[in-house]
Formats: sequence, C-alpha cells, structure tokens
Amino acid sequence: MKQAISKLLLLGLAAGLATPALADDEEVIKYRKNVMKAYGAHMAAAGAIVQGKVKGSLVGHARAMEATTKNMAAMFPAGSDFGETNALDTVWSKRADFEKRAKDTEAKAAAFAKAAGGSDAAAKFRELSDSCKACHKDYRKEQK
Amino acid sequence: MLRRVMLLGLLCAGSSLAAGPDPVAGQYLFRAAGCENCHTDREHGGAWLAGGRELLTPLGVFYSPNITPDPDTGIGRWREADFLRAMRHGRGPDGRHYYPSFPYAAYTRLSDADLRALWAYLRSVPPVRQANRPHELPWYLKYRALLAGWKLLYFKPGPYTPEPGKGASWNRGAYLVQAAGHCGECHTPRNRLGGFRIGLYLAGDKAGAEGGVVPNITPDPKTGIGRWSRGELIDYLKTGMRPDGDFAGGLMAEVIDNGLKHLSQQDLEAIATYLQSVPPVEHAVRKPKPKPTRDEFGY
Repeated sequence: MKQAISKLLLLGLAAGLATPALADDEEVIKYRKNVMKAYGAHMAAAGAIVQGKVKGSLVGHARAMEATTKNMAAMFPAGSDFGETNALDTVWSKRADFEKRAKDTEAKAAAFAKAAGGSDAAAKFRELSDSCKACHKDYRKEQK
Repeated sequence: MLRRVMLLGLLCAGSSLAAGPDPVAGQYLFRAAGCENCHTDREHGGAWLAGGRELLTPLGVFYSPNITPDPDTGIGRWREADFLRAMRHGRGPDGRHYYPSFPYAAYTRLSDADLRALWAYLRSVPPVRQANRPHELPWYLKYRALLAGWKLLYFKPGPYTPEPGKGASWNRGAYLVQAAGHCGECHTPRNRLGGFRIGLYLAGDKAGAEGGVVPNITPDPKTGIGRWSRGELIDYLKTGMRPDGDFAGGLMAEVIDNGLKHLSQQDLEAIATYLQSVPPVEHAVRKPKPKPTRDEFGY
C-alpha cells in the first residue's frame, strides 16, 4: 500500500514536470537564444564592414536583421522565464516598456536595412547597436 | 624630467591648476567614475543622483545615498574638506566609517585636482530632496567601528602614484581603471570578509554585482579577453559590442552609457593599454556548456 502511494506520487510528480507547456517553453528559450546569436553574428559581421576592416556589402546582414527582428517580443511569451535563460523577470513584469524597446529595435533594424547601401549606413548601424544595448541594460543579465 | 611633466599634465587632464577646480573637468571625471550608476535609482524612476538604488551583496542590502546639494537630505552642507575626506579616507563629515560598498578603496587613488574638480561639479547639479534609506544589514554589521578593522586589512589611502618606466598612456590607463573606473570593485572576486582575493585581480566573479556573472577581463585567452584585439576592446568600451556581436547588458551597459562612451579616444586607448598588460589569470566564471554525449544521438 505504502509502495503504491509513493508510486502514485512519483507518477503524479513526473506528470506535473513533463507538461507539454514546459517542453515548449524550453524550445522557445533555445529558439530565441539561437536567433539572438544570429543577430550577434550579423552585427559583428556588419561592424567589421562599417569600420572598414573588411570589404563587403551590408545589405544582406541588414536585411537579415530587419526580417528576423519583426515582432521580437513574441520570442518572450509568458512562461518562458524559467530555465536556461538570461532574460530578467522584468521582461514580463514591465511588459509594456519591454515591448516598446523591442519595437524600437525593429524600427532601427528596418532603418539600417533601408540605409545599408548608402552613406548613412554607419550612423544607422550605430543606432541599431544602441538599441540592442539599451534593451540588454534593463532586460538581460548574465546569471549563469 | 620632460616625461614627468607630461605625465603630470595627463593626470590632471582638463583641470587647470591655476584657475581652481573646473566643473567641466569634474563632469568628465564624474562620468569616468560612474557615480550616476549607483547614486540614481533608475529602475524605479528615482531622481538623478538622489540615491536609493539598492546594492544586493552577500552581506546585506545597501542603499546608495543622495549626493545632490540638498542641504537636509543630500550633501548640501558639506564643505570641500568633507568631500575629500569621504573620497580619500572613507569617512563621513561626522567621522563615521563608510561601508566599502562605496568604493572609496578605489576613489582614494584619485588626484587632489580631480577630487576638487569632481566636488565643483557635484555642487552644480540640481538639488533633490529625498531622504536616505537605511541599509539592511545583519545586526553585527551595524557596528561601524568594525570597519576600522576592515580598513586596516584592505584599505591603503592615498592618490595613485605613476609607475616609472611604464609610459604615460599605461599610467593614465591604470589611473582610470584603478582609481576612477573602479573596475576591480566588480571584476575582482572577494573573500568572505569583503577583501579582494589575492592573485585574481580583474579575473571575474561567478556571483558578483547584483547576482550576475562578472566576466574575467584579464588577457587570459581561454577565460579572459586575451583573444580580443586592442581595437575590439576599445570598440567595446565605446559601443558595448563584443567581438562576437553580442551587446553589453545590465550594469556594464550603464557603465558604458553613462561613462565610458563619453571618454576621449586617448583615454580609451590608455585603458586598453593597461588592461592588456595586467597578468593573465585563468579563472572561469561561466558555467561550462554540457558536452554532447553519445546518448544524444541514441534516440
């Protein structure tokens, strides 16, 4: 009897832990981390071009940033605040401000894409950089 | 001789000795010293420099004080001598010791000229009436007399003395990192008594400021920033972008926005010169990534 109860408890615990929502949240966290890494790679690559370290076209990097920053805040759905994430609780507790910042990054990425072929590209790149940093300032912390 | 004169000139950069303290030079130093970051409760929309920002530490919660010139709640009644004593010796106008959560162990290295300029600048900021919030500490830490012991162990007052033979840029960098920037306050791990751990200068902290990971900024190639080029380091200090395209966040983003990005190119180069010269320390602060195992491909 005792054994049966503990087995039942264990089963209940396992079921509680393995809810589909949790698995999805982990996938969401992995996904957004990969997208963020892609942003980083494009920014580093674009930065090297902007600074004249290498020759190349900014257009592809800028368009990738523009396309993938659309609706950025959706990568941070409710429930994806636990686990292997460096996103701070403020992403969810100050949602309106967080979404404003995400929109700002979208706008700055779009402006960079528009200017990428022209003489204004470096300035727009810097504005996008500032937007990345501004959001990380309040909403991202390295905890692990 | 000429070199020494040049060095002196560099250390007093901006502040004119003949014309007395200069608030413009003071503002430059104010930024380099990052005063705003702790003395403004940005997260809760607090007034500029009126204090109240919490600093979570393993010893308790400290709240930064109001440093605006308000006479009753700020430092409006202070004289220059009070300010110099606070910065140089870590003591209040009433003689009590300050907790080293106020980084006077670094600020004590500032030159007299810079301290005077900083004081002149602080006199010029708008006064805000906001009472200080008492720290939340365990009972045994409320005896400030204990701080005399801490100071005896870990605090050596006095301005930075340039190291001969290291060059003006290196010395300027050392001054900006050690005295004004107080980088080690977060980037050097501490022991249980709150003193710096020997041999780990700037080697990072697993659980540092505000509970985050503070990276190793020594030139160790594996765990520090040894693979960063000089240009990448200067660029990071200016824009917050790391060589991998990631951007600084948290407190470091504040340090850059409110301070580093306002510094002259020459000063940023000096910081890079100095940081790339400190002893490399292998000290990993980030959780190692799990290695893939065969099991992963088994199902």
